[in-house]
Amino acid sequence: MASSSYSNPPCAACKCLRRKCMPDCIFAPYFPPEEPQKFINVHKIFGASNVSKLLNDVSPHQREDAVNSLAYEAEARMKDPVYGCVGAISVLQRQVMRLQKELDATNADIIRYAYNEMPQPPQP
Amino acid sequence: MTLKGGATSACAACKYQRRKCIPECLLAPYFPADQTKVFQNAHKLFGVSNIVKILRSLDPSQHAEAMRSIKYQANVRDRFPVYGCLGVIRQLYYQIQMLEEEMHTVLTQLEMYRQHHHHQQQQQQHHQHQHQISSMADDVISQLELGMAPSNNALPLFNQATHQPYTMQNTYSSSDIDSPPKDNVENNSLWIQHLFFDTNNHGTGNNDSPIAIQSQLLVPNSEPLADTQHQVVQDYDEIHPFFDSIDDRQSYIDTKDAEDSSSSEESLKETTQLMVGNVGSKDLKSAAACFSLTSVN
Repeated sequence: MASSSYSNPPCAACKCLRRKCMPDCIFAPYFPPEEPQKFINVHKIFGASNVSKLLNDVSPHQREDAVNSLAYEAEARMKDPVYGCVGAISVLQRQVMRLQKELDATNADIIRYAYNEMPQPPQP
Repeated sequence: MTLKGGATSACAACKYQRRKCIPECLLAPYFPADQTKVFQNAHKLFGVSNIVKILRSLDPSQHAEAMRSIKYQANVRDRFPVYGCLGVIRQLYYQIQMLEEEMHTVLTQLEMYRQHHHHQQQQQQHHQHQHQISSMADDVISQLELGMAPSNNALPLFNQATHQPYTMQNTYSSSDIDSPPKDNVENNSLWIQHLFFDTNNHGTGNNDSPIAIQSQLLVPNSEPLADTQHQVVQDYDEIHPFFDSIDDRQSYIDTKDAEDSSSSEESLKETTQLMVGNVGSKDLKSAAACFSLTSVN
Protein backbone atom coordinates (compact mmCIF):
# COMPACT_ATOMS: atom_id res chain seq x y z
CA MET A 1 0.00 0.00 0.00
CA ALA A 2 1.42 3.26 -1.02
CA SER A 3 0.42 6.49 0.64
CA SER A 4 -0.76 9.13 -1.74
CA SER A 5 0.75 12.01 0.18
CA TYR A 6 2.81 12.61 3.24
CA SER A 7 0.58 13.29 6.22
CA ASN A 8 1.49 14.52 9.63
CA PRO A 9 0.93 12.12 12.47
CA PRO A 10 -2.43 12.72 14.14
CA CYS A 11 -2.46 15.05 17.11
CA ALA A 12 -3.29 13.70 20.54
CA ALA A 13 -6.85 14.98 20.22
CA CYS A 14 -7.60 13.27 16.94
CA LYS A 15 -5.88 10.13 18.14
CA CYS A 16 -8.04 10.10 21.24
CA LEU A 17 -11.17 10.89 19.27
CA ARG A 18 -10.18 8.32 16.66
CA ARG A 19 -10.63 10.65 13.74
CA LYS A 20 -8.55 11.90 10.91
CA CYS A 21 -6.34 14.78 11.87
CA MET A 22 -6.95 17.41 9.23
CA PRO A 23 -4.36 20.06 8.34
CA ASP A 24 -6.56 22.78 9.85
CA CYS A 25 -7.19 20.79 13.03
CA ILE A 26 -7.63 23.36 15.79
CA PHE A 27 -6.18 21.01 18.40
CA ALA A 28 -3.05 19.95 16.51
CA PRO A 29 -0.74 22.88 17.44
CA TYR A 30 -1.52 22.54 21.14
CA PHE A 31 -1.97 18.83 21.74
CA PRO A 32 1.08 17.09 20.29
CA PRO A 33 0.95 13.28 20.00
CA GLU A 34 3.79 13.04 22.59
CA GLU A 35 1.46 14.34 25.32
CA PRO A 36 -1.68 12.22 25.13
CA GLN A 37 -2.66 12.64 28.78
CA LYS A 38 -2.99 16.38 28.35
CA PHE A 39 -5.90 16.05 25.94
CA ILE A 40 -7.41 13.08 27.78
CA ASN A 41 -7.76 15.18 30.93
CA VAL A 42 -9.14 18.17 29.09
CA HIS A 43 -11.60 16.04 27.18
CA LYS A 44 -12.73 14.21 30.29
CA ILE A 45 -13.49 17.37 32.28
CA PHE A 46 -14.53 19.89 29.67
CA GLY A 47 -15.25 17.95 26.51
CA ALA A 48 -13.64 18.35 23.09
CA SER A 49 -16.51 20.36 21.62
CA ASN A 50 -16.41 22.89 24.48
CA VAL A 51 -12.64 23.25 24.17
CA SER A 52 -12.98 23.73 20.43
CA LYS A 53 -15.57 26.48 20.95
CA LEU A 54 -13.41 28.15 23.58
CA LEU A 55 -10.38 28.14 21.30
CA ASN A 56 -12.42 29.61 18.48
CA ASP A 57 -13.53 32.43 20.78
CA VAL A 58 -9.98 33.60 21.51
CA SER A 59 -7.46 35.03 19.07
CA PRO A 60 -4.92 32.57 17.61
CA HIS A 61 -1.93 34.03 19.47
CA GLN A 62 -3.73 33.43 22.78
CA ARG A 63 -4.79 29.87 22.12
CA GLU A 64 -1.68 28.27 23.50
CA ASP A 65 -2.12 30.04 26.83
CA ALA A 66 -5.80 29.14 26.86
CA VAL A 67 -5.02 25.46 26.25
CA ASN A 68 -2.38 25.42 28.96
CA SER A 69 -4.75 26.96 31.48
CA LEU A 70 -7.47 24.48 30.54
CA ALA A 71 -5.01 21.62 30.88
CA TYR A 72 -4.02 22.91 34.35
CA GLU A 73 -7.65 23.22 35.47
CA ALA A 74 -8.52 19.79 34.10
CA GLU A 75 -5.65 18.14 35.90
CA ALA A 76 -6.59 19.92 39.13
CA ARG A 77 -10.17 18.78 38.80
CA MET A 78 -9.04 15.17 38.17
CA LYS A 79 -6.96 15.26 41.35
CA ASP A 80 -9.63 16.96 43.41
CA PRO A 81 -13.12 16.44 41.94
CA VAL A 82 -14.77 18.56 44.67
CA TYR A 83 -12.69 21.77 44.57
CA GLY A 84 -10.42 21.44 41.55
CA CYS A 85 -8.12 24.45 41.11
CA VAL A 86 -10.48 26.58 43.24
CA GLY A 87 -9.02 24.88 46.30
CA ALA A 88 -5.63 26.38 45.51
CA ILE A 89 -7.24 29.80 45.09
CA SER A 90 -8.87 29.48 48.48
CA VAL A 91 -5.59 28.57 50.16
CA LEU A 92 -3.74 31.42 48.49
CA GLN A 93 -6.42 33.94 49.38
CA ARG A 94 -6.19 32.94 53.03
CA GLN A 95 -2.43 33.29 52.86
CA VAL A 96 -2.78 36.78 51.43
CA MET A 97 -5.15 37.76 54.22
CA ARG A 98 -2.84 36.38 56.87
CA LEU A 99 0.17 38.20 55.44
CA GLN A 100 -1.76 41.43 55.21
CA LYS A 101 -2.84 41.08 58.81
CA GLU A 102 0.74 40.46 59.94
CA LEU A 103 1.93 43.41 57.91
CA ASP A 104 -0.65 45.71 59.47
CA ALA A 105 0.31 44.55 62.96
CA THR A 106 4.01 45.11 62.28
CA ASN A 107 3.33 48.54 60.83
CA ALA A 108 1.38 49.39 63.97
CA ASP A 109 4.39 48.34 66.06
CA ILE A 110 6.65 50.60 64.04
CA ILE A 111 4.32 53.53 64.54
CA ARG A 112 4.35 52.90 68.28
CA TYR A 113 8.14 52.88 68.28
CA ALA A 114 8.21 56.00 66.16
CA TYR A 115 5.91 57.80 68.57
CA ASN A 116 8.21 56.79 71.40
CA GLU A 117 11.14 58.39 69.60
CA MET A 118 9.48 61.79 69.61
CA PRO A 119 10.26 64.25 72.45
CA GLN A 120 8.35 63.47 75.58
CA PRO A 121 6.32 66.26 77.22
CA PRO A 122 7.98 67.79 80.29
CA GLN A 123 7.42 65.83 83.45
CA PRO A 124 5.65 67.75 86.23
CA MET B 1 -42.12 28.09 32.32
CA THR B 2 -44.35 26.24 34.74
CA LEU B 3 -44.81 22.51 35.05
CA LYS B 4 -48.16 20.78 34.89
CA GLY B 5 -49.55 20.40 38.37
CA GLY B 6 -46.56 22.17 39.88
CA ALA B 7 -46.07 25.65 41.20
CA THR B 8 -42.30 25.69 40.92
CA SER B 9 -40.66 26.82 37.69
CA ALA B 10 -37.96 24.87 35.86
CA CYS B 11 -34.38 25.35 36.92
CA ALA B 12 -32.05 27.34 34.72
CA ALA B 13 -30.49 24.14 33.35
CA CYS B 14 -33.78 22.60 32.27
CA LYS B 15 -35.01 25.93 31.02
CA TYR B 16 -31.95 26.31 28.84
CA GLN B 17 -32.32 22.79 27.51
CA ARG B 18 -36.05 23.28 27.09
CA ARG B 19 -36.94 20.13 28.94
CA LYS B 20 -39.10 19.19 31.82
CA CYS B 21 -37.51 19.84 35.16
CA ILE B 22 -38.23 16.76 37.21
CA PRO B 23 -38.20 16.82 41.02
CA GLU B 24 -35.10 14.63 41.00
CA CYS B 25 -33.21 17.10 38.78
CA LEU B 26 -29.63 17.01 39.99
CA LEU B 27 -28.84 20.58 38.95
CA ALA B 28 -32.05 22.27 40.12
CA PRO B 29 -30.79 23.10 43.64
CA TYR B 30 -27.71 24.81 42.22
CA PHE B 31 -29.06 26.63 39.18
CA PRO B 32 -32.22 28.48 40.18
CA ALA B 33 -34.34 29.92 37.39
CA ASP B 34 -33.12 33.46 37.97
CA GLN B 35 -29.42 32.59 37.50
CA THR B 36 -29.35 31.90 33.79
CA LYS B 37 -26.01 33.58 33.20
CA VAL B 38 -24.32 31.42 35.84
CA PHE B 39 -25.65 28.29 34.23
CA GLN B 40 -24.63 29.46 30.78
CA ASN B 41 -21.08 29.97 31.97
CA ALA B 42 -20.96 26.52 33.57
CA HIS B 43 -22.53 24.95 30.51
CA LYS B 44 -20.08 26.72 28.20
CA LEU B 45 -17.04 25.46 30.10
CA PHE B 46 -18.07 22.05 31.38
CA GLY B 47 -21.29 21.07 29.68
CA VAL B 48 -24.32 19.62 31.47
CA SER B 49 -23.29 16.02 30.98
CA ASN B 50 -19.81 16.60 32.43
CA ILE B 51 -21.24 18.44 35.44
CA VAL B 52 -23.67 15.61 36.10
CA LYS B 53 -20.83 13.12 35.65
CA ILE B 54 -18.77 14.94 38.29
CA LEU B 55 -21.69 15.07 40.71
CA ARG B 56 -22.46 11.40 40.28
CA SER B 57 -18.85 10.49 41.07
CA LEU B 58 -19.14 12.27 44.42
CA ASP B 59 -20.94 11.64 47.65
CA PRO B 60 -24.20 13.67 47.89
CA SER B 61 -22.77 15.52 50.88
CA GLN B 62 -20.07 16.90 48.60
CA HIS B 63 -22.40 18.09 45.86
CA ALA B 64 -22.89 21.58 47.24
CA GLU B 65 -19.18 22.31 47.57
CA ALA B 66 -18.42 20.82 44.17
CA MET B 67 -21.10 22.94 42.51
CA ARG B 68 -19.77 26.05 44.23
CA SER B 69 -16.32 25.45 42.81
CA ILE B 70 -17.69 24.57 39.38
CA LYS B 71 -19.76 27.75 39.22
CA TYR B 72 -16.82 29.81 40.46
CA GLN B 73 -14.48 28.28 37.91
CA ALA B 74 -16.96 28.86 35.10
CA ASN B 75 -17.57 32.47 36.09
CA VAL B 76 -13.84 33.16 36.22
CA ARG B 77 -13.41 31.58 32.78
CA ASP B 78 -16.19 33.78 31.46
CA ARG B 79 -14.42 36.84 32.87
CA PHE B 80 -10.95 35.74 31.77
CA PRO B 81 -11.40 33.56 28.66
CA VAL B 82 -7.68 32.95 28.12
CA TYR B 83 -6.23 32.30 31.59
CA GLY B 84 -9.26 31.53 33.74
CA CYS B 85 -8.47 30.41 37.28
CA LEU B 86 -4.81 30.00 36.44
CA GLY B 87 -4.60 33.75 35.98
CA VAL B 88 -6.16 34.29 39.40
CA ILE B 89 -3.69 31.87 40.97
CA ARG B 90 -0.73 33.62 39.35
CA GLN B 91 -2.01 36.97 40.59
CA LEU B 92 -2.32 35.64 44.10
CA TYR B 93 1.20 34.21 43.99
CA TYR B 94 2.49 37.60 42.88
CA GLN B 95 0.53 39.32 45.64
CA ILE B 96 1.99 36.95 48.22
CA GLN B 97 5.48 37.57 46.94
CA MET B 98 5.00 41.33 47.20
CA LEU B 99 3.58 41.03 50.70
CA GLU B 100 6.47 38.85 51.83
CA GLU B 101 8.98 41.33 50.46
CA GLU B 102 7.20 44.18 52.18
CA MET B 103 7.06 42.17 55.36
CA HIS B 104 10.78 41.62 55.25
CA THR B 105 11.37 45.33 54.79
CA VAL B 106 9.02 46.25 57.60
CA LEU B 107 10.59 43.74 59.97
CA THR B 108 13.99 45.21 59.18
CA GLN B 109 12.71 48.65 60.08
CA LEU B 110 11.15 47.36 63.27
CA GLU B 111 14.41 45.79 64.31
CA MET B 112 16.14 49.10 63.66
CA TYR B 113 13.70 50.85 65.95
CA ARG B 114 14.13 48.24 68.65
CA GLN B 115 17.90 48.47 68.54
CA HIS B 116 17.73 52.24 68.69
CA HIS B 117 15.30 52.15 71.57
CA HIS B 118 17.48 49.69 73.43
CA HIS B 119 20.48 51.91 72.84
CA GLN B 120 18.59 54.91 74.18
CA GLN B 121 17.49 52.99 77.24
CA GLN B 122 21.05 51.98 77.97
CA GLN B 123 22.18 55.57 77.69
CA GLN B 124 19.41 56.71 79.98
CA GLN B 125 20.36 54.11 82.54
CA HIS B 126 23.96 55.23 82.31
CA HIS B 127 22.98 58.85 82.80
CA GLN B 128 20.72 58.00 85.69
CA HIS B 129 23.58 56.14 87.29
CA GLN B 130 25.83 59.15 86.89
CA HIS B 131 23.06 61.34 88.26
CA GLN B 132 22.84 59.12 91.29
CA ILE B 133 26.57 59.34 91.82
CA SER B 134 26.53 63.12 91.56
CA SER B 135 23.55 63.37 93.90
CA MET B 136 25.36 61.14 96.35
CA ALA B 137 28.35 63.45 96.09
CA ASP B 138 26.08 66.42 96.76
CA ASP B 139 24.66 64.71 99.80
CA VAL B 140 28.10 63.97 101.14
CA ILE B 141 29.22 67.51 100.47
CA SER B 142 26.19 69.01 102.15
CA GLN B 143 26.78 66.81 105.16
CA LEU B 144 30.37 67.89 105.24
CA GLU B 145 29.32 71.52 104.97
CA LEU B 146 27.35 71.19 108.12
CA GLY B 147 30.45 69.97 109.94
CA MET B 148 32.91 72.35 108.28
CA ALA B 149 33.96 75.93 108.99
CA PRO B 150 31.81 78.53 107.32
CA SER B 151 34.62 80.28 105.43
CA ASN B 152 35.92 77.96 102.88
CA ASN B 153 36.57 79.31 99.42
CA ALA B 154 37.08 75.91 97.95
CA LEU B 155 33.60 74.66 98.60
CA PRO B 156 31.65 77.25 96.58
CA LEU B 157 33.93 76.55 93.66
CA PHE B 158 33.43 72.90 94.22
CA ASN B 159 29.65 73.38 94.30
CA GLN B 160 29.73 75.35 91.10
CA ALA B 161 31.85 72.72 89.46
CA THR B 162 29.51 69.97 90.56
CA HIS B 163 26.48 71.86 89.35
CA GLN B 164 27.88 72.47 85.93
CA PRO B 165 28.47 68.87 85.00
CA TYR B 166 25.19 68.08 86.70
CA THR B 167 23.51 70.49 84.33
CA MET B 168 25.43 69.06 81.42
CA GLN B 169 24.10 65.67 82.30
CA ASN B 170 20.61 67.02 82.38
CA THR B 171 20.94 68.41 78.91
CA TYR B 172 21.02 64.95 77.48
CA SER B 173 18.78 63.16 79.94
CA SER B 174 15.28 62.35 78.91
CA SER B 175 13.75 64.59 81.51
CA ASP B 176 14.96 67.81 79.89
CA ILE B 177 13.33 68.70 76.64
CA ASP B 178 13.87 72.29 75.83
CA SER B 179 17.64 72.13 75.66
CA PRO B 180 18.84 72.50 72.07
CA PRO B 181 21.43 69.69 72.26
CA LYS B 182 18.76 67.11 72.99
CA ASP B 183 16.64 68.53 70.22
CA ASN B 184 19.52 68.11 67.86
CA VAL B 185 19.88 64.51 68.88
CA GLU B 186 16.21 63.85 68.33
CA ASN B 187 16.23 65.67 65.01
CA ASN B 188 19.10 63.49 63.97
CA SER B 189 17.17 60.38 64.91
CA LEU B 190 14.21 61.56 62.83
CA TRP B 191 16.53 62.42 59.94
CA ILE B 192 18.01 58.96 60.16
CA GLN B 193 14.54 57.42 60.10
CA HIS B 194 13.74 59.35 56.91
CA LEU B 195 17.10 58.41 55.41
CA PHE B 196 16.46 54.79 56.20
CA PHE B 197 13.00 54.97 54.72
CA ASP B 198 14.34 56.57 51.57
CA THR B 199 17.08 53.96 51.35
CA ASN B 200 14.57 51.21 51.78
CA ASN B 201 12.27 52.67 49.19
CA HIS B 202 15.06 52.79 46.68
CA GLY B 203 16.08 49.28 47.59
CA THR B 204 12.65 47.77 47.21
CA GLY B 205 11.64 50.00 44.36
CA ASN B 206 8.47 50.89 46.16
CA ASN B 207 8.32 54.63 46.52
CA ASP B 208 4.81 54.54 47.84
CA SER B 209 5.68 52.58 50.95
CA PRO B 210 3.11 53.24 53.65
CA ILE B 211 5.94 53.30 56.18
CA ALA B 212 7.59 56.27 54.48
CA ILE B 213 4.30 58.12 54.38
CA GLN B 214 3.61 57.35 58.02
CA SER B 215 7.04 58.59 59.06
CA GLN B 216 6.14 62.02 57.72
CA LEU B 217 3.00 62.13 59.78
CA LEU B 218 4.59 61.40 63.15
CA VAL B 219 3.08 63.36 66.00
CA PRO B 220 4.70 63.67 69.41
CA ASN B 221 3.07 61.32 71.80
CA SER B 222 3.90 59.88 75.15
CA GLU B 223 2.35 56.44 74.69
CA PRO B 224 4.15 53.65 76.43
CA LEU B 225 6.07 51.28 74.27
CA ALA B 226 4.24 48.07 73.40
CA ASP B 227 5.90 44.69 73.37
CA THR B 228 7.27 43.72 69.99
CA GLN B 229 8.52 40.52 68.39
CA HIS B 230 12.20 39.75 68.66
CA GLN B 231 13.66 38.86 65.28
CA VAL B 232 17.17 38.91 63.97
CA VAL B 233 17.89 41.22 61.06
CA GLN B 234 20.79 40.31 58.83
CA ASP B 235 21.39 43.60 57.07
CA TYR B 236 21.10 45.80 60.12
CA ASP B 237 24.79 46.52 60.11
CA GLU B 238 24.32 48.86 57.18
CA ILE B 239 22.18 51.10 59.32
CA HIS B 240 24.16 50.90 62.52
CA PRO B 241 26.77 53.48 61.58
CA PHE B 242 24.02 56.09 61.49
CA PHE B 243 23.20 55.43 65.09
CA ASP B 244 26.83 55.58 66.02
CA SER B 245 26.69 59.22 64.98
CA ILE B 246 24.06 59.87 67.61
CA ASP B 247 26.21 60.69 70.57
CA ASP B 248 25.29 62.44 73.74
CA ARG B 249 28.54 64.25 73.45
CA GLN B 250 26.85 66.39 70.84
CA SER B 251 25.35 68.18 73.81
CA TYR B 252 28.85 69.21 74.76
CA ILE B 253 29.64 70.50 71.31
CA ASP B 254 27.09 73.28 71.52
CA THR B 255 28.14 74.53 74.89
CA LYS B 256 30.93 76.91 75.64
CA ASP B 257 32.91 74.79 78.01
CA ALA B 258 32.65 71.46 76.31
CA GLU B 259 36.21 70.35 76.84
CA ASP B 260 36.49 71.92 80.25
CA SER B 261 33.25 70.38 81.32
CA SER B 262 34.33 66.97 80.24
CA SER B 263 37.56 67.28 82.10
CA SER B 264 35.74 68.59 85.13
CA GLU B 265 33.32 65.70 84.89
CA GLU B 266 36.12 63.21 84.84
CA SER B 267 37.73 64.85 87.81
CA LEU B 268 34.37 64.86 89.51
CA LYS B 269 34.13 61.14 88.95
CA GLU B 270 37.49 60.59 90.50
CA THR B 271 36.60 62.85 93.37
CA THR B 272 33.29 61.22 94.10
CA GLN B 273 34.93 57.86 94.10
CA LEU B 274 37.23 59.15 96.75
CA MET B 275 34.39 60.66 98.71
CA VAL B 276 32.19 57.64 98.76
CA GLY B 277 34.59 55.86 101.01
CA ASN B 278 36.06 57.17 104.23
CA VAL B 279 36.67 60.83 103.77
CA GLY B 280 39.05 62.74 105.89
CA SER B 281 39.67 66.40 105.98
CA LYS B 282 42.94 65.96 104.17
CA ASP B 283 41.25 64.16 101.33
CA LEU B 284 38.57 66.82 101.16
CA LYS B 285 41.07 69.55 100.88
CA SER B 286 42.92 67.75 98.12
CA ALA B 287 39.68 67.22 96.27
CA ALA B 288 38.76 70.83 96.64
CA ALA B 289 42.14 71.78 95.34
CA CYS B 290 41.45 69.75 92.22
CA PHE B 291 38.34 71.75 91.54
CA SER B 292 39.87 75.04 92.29
CA LEU B 293 42.17 74.48 89.36
CA THR B 294 39.38 73.97 86.86
CA SER B 295 37.88 76.93 85.07
CA VAL B 296 34.23 77.27 85.67
CA ASN B 297 31.69 79.94 84.98
